[in-house]
Amino acid sequence: MTLLFVVIAVIVVALIFDFTNGFHDSANAMAGPIATGALKPRTAVIIAAVLNLVGACLSTEVAKTISNGFFDESLITPAIVLAGLTGAIMWNLFTWLLGLPSSSSHALFGGLIGAVIVGAGVQSVNGSVVVSKVLLPAIAAPVVAGLAAALATRILYRATRKTSSAHSDTGFKYGQAFTASLVALAHGTSDGQKTMGVITLVLISANMQAAGTGPYWWVVLAAGLAIGIGTYSGGWRIMRTMGKGIVEIETPQGSAAGAAATATILASSHLGFGLSTTHVATGAILGSGVGRRGSEVRWSVARTMLVAWLLTLPAAGLVGGLAALLADKGVGGVIALLVLLGIGSTVIWVVSRKHAVDHTNVTDSREVMVLAAAVPDTFAADSGRDSADKPAKTKGAA
Amino acid sequence: MRIDWAALGTVAVVSVVSTVVFAILLGLGVRFVSLAKVRSNTGASSTTALTAGYTFLGCAGLLVLYCIYLIVPQFH
Repeated sequence: MTLLFVVIAVIVVALIFDFTNGFHDSANAMAGPIATGALKPRTAVIIAAVLNLVGACLSTEVAKTISNGFFDESLITPAIVLAGLTGAIMWNLFTWLLGLPSSSSHALFGGLIGAVIVGAGVQSVNGSVVVSKVLLPAIAAPVVAGLAAALATRILYRATRKTSSAHSDTGFKYGQAFTASLVALAHGTSDGQKTMGVITLVLISANMQAAGTGPYWWVVLAAGLAIGIGTYSGGWRIMRTMGKGIVEIETPQGSAAGAAATATILASSHLGFGLSTTHVATGAILGSGVGRRGSEVRWSVARTMLVAWLLTLPAAGLVGGLAALLADKGVGGVIALLVLLGIGSTVIWVVSRKHAVDHTNVTDSREVMVLAAAVPDTFAADSGRDSADKPAKTKGAA
Repeated sequence: MRIDWAALGTVAVVSVVSTVVFAILLGLGVRFVSLAKVRSNTGASSTTALTAGYTFLGCAGLLVLYCIYLIVPQFH
């Protein structure tokens, strides 16, 4: 009975993680099109949501283990997974509050690694695999995507130098829409698997499913719906940062970034590299900013983001580890953990309401404010002013 | 710790090259279709420009279809 309770708790929390994964990565595909007006915000997230759902349901072969070789999967208990997911969710929510794009995949890895370390000891984690499969691609992929996007941006501007901007704008808006759709579909097929894999792993470890079998159909559907609904809910705070906060892009840049992200994602996944769509998409947008002369790239925002990326694994690991201490204490511990997760999430959500960002105001500004008092004239006089000039605020406190 | 430099290099080359190819196709496609529209507005013949434009765009579209083929696991 206890086991059943914990397993159900894990499934629910895993789907919640999937939901946060959805809204966190919604911007990877759609920040560009929304920022340039290629797609209306609601339309964009509906397209992305449907494609994520379709992609998730298509990827029934959960061949990749969620542990990726970081640790022995026989060490996994439902309690450890619950703790790991908690770490991942809290990090996802925290970075969402700050409007910072960060990798949900890394958050999940980090949370699980932290939980495994507490639950089974440090020696059970294979450090070199973590470096070669997570850290290295995390650096390489965005650089590759950035380079590709920079070159593509140059080419697109060159090719349409004497073209009427009305015509080229329309053409490139289509380019954005198509490439963004590809990113959304690719994201669904790759990230959809994660939660399915987690749930399946837990069911197997609790002897509710035969080892070596694929996910149940309801697991596939539930995970797909969770990520789809999450994507639709938009993650508008992150959408704003990616679409305008790093660099204000024009349609050719958007097309270039979308194409570069698609190419890098596909090339990496086909060559078996662990992949963060967030890193790739952000790298592509940065690259497209570099590629156009006169484009103002806000490197301060990029730096803050980089810090967040470096902190993801350890921070999620820390929360996952702490959560594991609780989860290990039987049903009482699990309930306490769930309550804390609920409280933590509610607090973050309430704080976010102070300067809420949604589909109606996502393109109104490049700043995601958290606690600072809103300064009305700041946005109007915004363009060109470095964020360091602005009144003290907790954005980028990480 | 084994770093698969060959695979990393392949990813880099494939990503950059395919993005650049897509950009060339999209860029030229947009340029020629726009040129055709401008020409037909002034009454001049626009067929070559239009054909060229749509050919480039069509190839870009084929690339998009190929990406879908790569993404959907059922196709392989």
